[in-house]
Amino acid sequence: MKNCLLLLFLSIISIVASAQENYDVSLISKDLLPYASAVVRNNEVSVEVKDYDNTLYHIKTAVTILNKNGNNIADIVVWHNKSRVIKSIKGIVYNQFGKQVNKFSESDFEDVNAQDGFSLFQDLKVKHYNPAVTDYPYTIVYEYEVKSKQSLNFSDWEPNSTTGQAVEKSSYTFSCKPDFNIRYKEINMPAKVVIGTNKDGYKTYTWQVNNLKAIKDEPYSPNEDKYLSSVKIAPEKFSYEGITGSFSNWKEMGKWIYDKLLASRLQVPGATASYMKQLTDSITNPKLKAQKIYEYMQGKTHYISVQVGIGGYQPFLAADVDQQNYGDCKALVNYTQALFKTVNIDSYYCIVEAGSRKQSPLNDFASMNQFDHVILCLPFKNDTTFLECTSQKIPFGFLSDFTDDRTVLACTPEGGKLLHTPKYTASNNLQQRKATFVLDTQGNLSGQMQTIFKGTQYDNREGIIEEAPKERIKNLQKEYAINNMDIEKVDFKQDKSLHPITTETIKLSAGEYGSVNDGKITFLANATNRSHNVPREIRNRRHEVYINRGYTDEDEIVYTLPAGYHIDLRPTDVSINKPFGKFSATIMVKGNELVYKRHVQLIDGTYSKDIYQNLIDFFQAIVESDDNNVTLAKGN
Amino acid sequence: MKKLLLITLLSFGLQHLSIAQDFKEGFVQEEVDMKKYDKDTAAHAVFLNEFGNSRMDVTSDDRIGLIYNYHAKIKIFDNKGFSSGTIEIPVHNGDNVTEEVTDISGTTYYKDDNGLMQKLDLDPKKIFKVKDYKYQSTIKFALPGLRPGCVIEFRYRLTSPFWDNFRKWEFQDDIPKIYSQYEVHIPGFWTFNASLRGPYKLTKNSSELERECFTSHGSKSDCSHLVYGMKDIPAFVEEDYMTSPKNFLSAIYFELVEWTNPYTGAKTRETKEWKDIDHQLKIEDGFGSQLKRKDLMKERMDPIIAGKTTEMDKATAIYAYLQKWYKWNDYIGISSSDGIKRAMDAHTGSIADINLTLITALNAAGINTEAVLLSTREHGNINTLYPVISDFNYVVAKANIDGKSYYLDASDPLLSFGVLPLKCLNDKGRVISLDKPSYWVELSTLQKTSEIHTLDLTLLDNGKIKGTITNYYNGYKAYTQRKAIKKFNSVDEYIEDLDGKLPKIKILKSNISNLDSLNQPLGEIFEVEIDAYDNMNKARLVFNPFFWEKRTTNPFKLAERDYPVDWGMASDNRLVLNMHLPAQYVIETPPQVVAFALPNSGGMFVTNFDSHDNEFTFSNMTRFTKAIYTPEEYPYLKELYNKIVLTEKTDMVFKKK
Repeated sequence: MKNCLLLLFLSIISIVASAQENYDVSLISKDLLPYASAVVRNNEVSVEVKDYDNTLYHIKTAVTILNKNGNNIADIVVWHNKSRVIKSIKGIVYNQFGKQVNKFSESDFEDVNAQDGFSLFQDLKVKHYNPAVTDYPYTIVYEYEVKSKQSLNFSDWEPNSTTGQAVEKSSYTFSCKPDFNIRYKEINMPAKVVIGTNKDGYKTYTWQVNNLKAIKDEPYSPNEDKYLSSVKIAPEKFSYEGITGSFSNWKEMGKWIYDKLLASRLQVPGATASYMKQLTDSITNPKLKAQKIYEYMQGKTHYISVQVGIGGYQPFLAADVDQQNYGDCKALVNYTQALFKTVNIDSYYCIVEAGSRKQSPLNDFASMNQFDHVILCLPFKNDTTFLECTSQKIPFGFLSDFTDDRTVLACTPEGGKLLHTPKYTASNNLQQRKATFVLDTQGNLSGQMQTIFKGTQYDNREGIIEEAPKERIKNLQKEYAINNMDIEKVDFKQDKSLHPITTETIKLSAGEYGSVNDGKITFLANATNRSHNVPREIRNRRHEVYINRGYTDEDEIVYTLPAGYHIDLRPTDVSINKPFGKFSATIMVKGNELVYKRHVQLIDGTYSKDIYQNLIDFFQAIVESDDNNVTLAKGN
Repeated sequence: MKKLLLITLLSFGLQHLSIAQDFKEGFVQEEVDMKKYDKDTAAHAVFLNEFGNSRMDVTSDDRIGLIYNYHAKIKIFDNKGFSSGTIEIPVHNGDNVTEEVTDISGTTYYKDDNGLMQKLDLDPKKIFKVKDYKYQSTIKFALPGLRPGCVIEFRYRLTSPFWDNFRKWEFQDDIPKIYSQYEVHIPGFWTFNASLRGPYKLTKNSSELERECFTSHGSKSDCSHLVYGMKDIPAFVEEDYMTSPKNFLSAIYFELVEWTNPYTGAKTRETKEWKDIDHQLKIEDGFGSQLKRKDLMKERMDPIIAGKTTEMDKATAIYAYLQKWYKWNDYIGISSSDGIKRAMDAHTGSIADINLTLITALNAAGINTEAVLLSTREHGNINTLYPVISDFNYVVAKANIDGKSYYLDASDPLLSFGVLPLKCLNDKGRVISLDKPSYWVELSTLQKTSEIHTLDLTLLDNGKIKGTITNYYNGYKAYTQRKAIKKFNSVDEYIEDLDGKLPKIKILKSNISNLDSLNQPLGEIFEVEIDAYDNMNKARLVFNPFFWEKRTTNPFKLAERDYPVDWGMASDNRLVLNMHLPAQYVIETPPQVVAFALPNSGGMFVTNFDSHDNEFTFSNMTRFTKAIYTPEEYPYLKELYNKIVLTEKTDMVFKKK
């Protein structure tokens, strides 16, 4: 009974305490309003490590939602599972004058399984709630406490990573017992850490930021760690799902991963081992041996993700994959590694941040949460080959745009090693097309074209190749903006070598490709590869211009023109040469042939923000040129 | 509207197991040796056999329920077919009761590396249950040991307390099927209507009487044992611009007509006639009872309509008030679960909560308003042969003012009075009121959308074009355009973004009118400067009069379609361009003047040109008078677009005198 009374008393205190803060919307500085749909009035994150298996997160947020677009920022989302337990959630809604209009508690939240869209199952649940308020602006103030049973990962503090949200004040306090040592990394932080001791004798590390303006999306922005403020924290010693350890650099982290999470997972059944030997018996070159086994693995397995407990970091046993024929990236890499081991080929389990946008871990700060994928590395002498193990069709040694050109951590028995994956350059990433078309007096077009796709552009037709013949044609009709295109025949060839090439051959016709009017025929010179997108202009651009990956497109079209016509109007040739790219489009007439050539190259790199307008002009010039007509008239 | 029969008497009855005509478990050699499916050689996987069996019976908790057994065998040809080896079974949760899936088993038959046949069973520990949201969970599992060429087989039992919602059967899937069979056992206490949708015919259709197949607490009944089978069913392939695949997929649906309580003998007619449904809805807690709460609404609406005299003024005021009052919780439905008072007090609710509030509020203000039950585009078409209440998943208001009907959905604050969201423009709606018999109303012809663009431009000697561009949006387009503008925090931010997206066009001044006056056309006026020509020292200048909205490719690619094109509404798009040229230029090549029309006044594309001296006016109009075009009309529609593309491709030429 007494406990109950005490609790009641405390909760009154806390409401009184929060009511003292003034959430009147008129108090928000005008400087924070541009591009903001919401303003964080105050966000206090406190992380308290009480023990290796007991970390307490206390989060208190006051956020003002200015208009309907900010509603998603009012979503309160709390993750939980067996090792991350919600202790309490509560909140209050205030109107624009800072007057309380509503309250909510944990029972208002809906609890569902977290679903990432590709996993079969994850042992992660999410409690979520969005208060129903229809009078804008309004302010919600909520706090929750979560107990985490591990001390390996601490979420990064990112005071403003949401587009359309400004921040009045945000602070982060990390506290721990004096013997719990941490490393921390401040990224783009306007103010440094304040270190102290609290009343419990805990060490405290505190960061605070004030008055951060809303982020605006800018096309061709660099990676977020180039401009957003954040703090990363990693422990010296830790416990995770009952496994303990310590590391302070990449070498030690890789060693810990290898010893504790990987070393015991590599056994495959004897039958499989002897089959691998039999499969590769006649091959002497170890790389070709590896290729044979890799292709066997690709034919046998497929990707299915199940994440439970330590399984978020530790692969399934190789023997399980051997039987079930499926696994996630960890499981399939570990399985491939185990298969290689049966024929004495060494390989490294490499953790990486995957995605088309290239992202590398910090060189000088080792922590577990900088990765989301695993690939395999074959460290042959003078030849390091990386393998993507989750695809059934990707060629041996090819990474495409998923894990190319970035730093990965190889977890080896000798410890972690930072390696760099191969880069596919602007001239490697080539799409090269040659077409020969005949145009008749009715404007009808017929002929054929052949296109080769190399580098990361090798992937351009992967989706279409998978389709049934009818669907292939439908998709190609969408791919090519040739009006009324009928595809008589299409053929794909794939060279699946280390530098793979897709070759597409299409025989086509297109009725009324040219428009016939008043005895003249008007047609688009560029039938095959028209660009429509120009990045939008940005007033007062803040970020440097970053081109993540380069490419080259070449198109050459030879038109045989109908007899008895001459060229009445033709576009002028274009040639642009910039540090970030080249473009040219030319027309040559020889007898009754018109030859159109187009060349586009975009060169990856980071450029000054001042060239952004040049980049827009560059793409605009391409769009305009691609839209140019040639007009033919009768007579010579 | 779900019903449960809880049996309180002690049970003597023997659980009757009817003998199902299920196919034999296990594989045969030719299934493993099969290299491709002859009738669809591109298929990555094919159902070799599929069997389902549903019966009404007494479930383990002594309630009457529906017991559904499913059994399938699939051949997987290559690794692109592996996705057919991951099984997801949706499970519906009610407020207090839920469906259960039990007896899951799965086996993979495959040839191992040495060419020997092996079988591998699904590990029960690798079956997962995921809660998606309040009313739905999913059981998921992946069959083990898949390899190209393998055969998988799995079965499960689903026990459902929602027996009035008899299990449908989809013969067609996204992979082809060699054979699919569904058997149902319905005790004489219940009567269902069965309806077959889709283009394919049953290859087996038999019925027989089963003696005393249902026994519970002394009540006995014979059953109808019905068998539906279909052979060689092609994969279902979606097309662009179509509505719900459900309208076209081959499937069999069941609807409860009447039932007799096995213990009391009381007979309940379910869906015999609309007048029964009307009556049922009128007394339903979540529907009719809410519509009767006029007193509650009168009290709340009186201040809103104070001083308003006409019905129209009152109706628009109430509509606008509720649009702003409610935040839709993303649930749809036709029944208010907690009632409109609680929903109103919470400022949030489902479609039923919001629109039943609206209907009641309008009636309370003396405006004759009916409810319209409908099925959203995603949910599929309505069965109009006999009433099927579960066909409906959405409710809107129909306010009758001065002899006109206005259809209203208050769940979206940007909808104008009388405009429904696209998702509602599907097939027919059933109009329900407390005092009249219900009737059908056609929803696919309800609405139209239109836009008018007026460009008044002058080409200057320096190669720039200056002038104004005026856009007016009406009907649905006004709604989508308001949404696009409101995506930004202010009109200035919208203009900044628009200006940024038009690199050649500088917006010098702008004015957006009626952004928040939802019942007026939305207007945009831009004063612009266009970088048209770098170099005016040319004898001929090329100009495309369609530059503001040019269509360069035909959206219709297929030579023919299997399913109708369904845009949801008719549309009308006009553009008028007035242009002044510098004195030294004349028009050498005018734009094409054309008029193309669809048969039966289905639509048209028309251009007009008029010039004198160095001025010209060019206008064009694209009009589609219907929402839906049948596969027979499709070739004409495609050809009309072809002509549009050809016409818009042609440039004008201005020549120096």
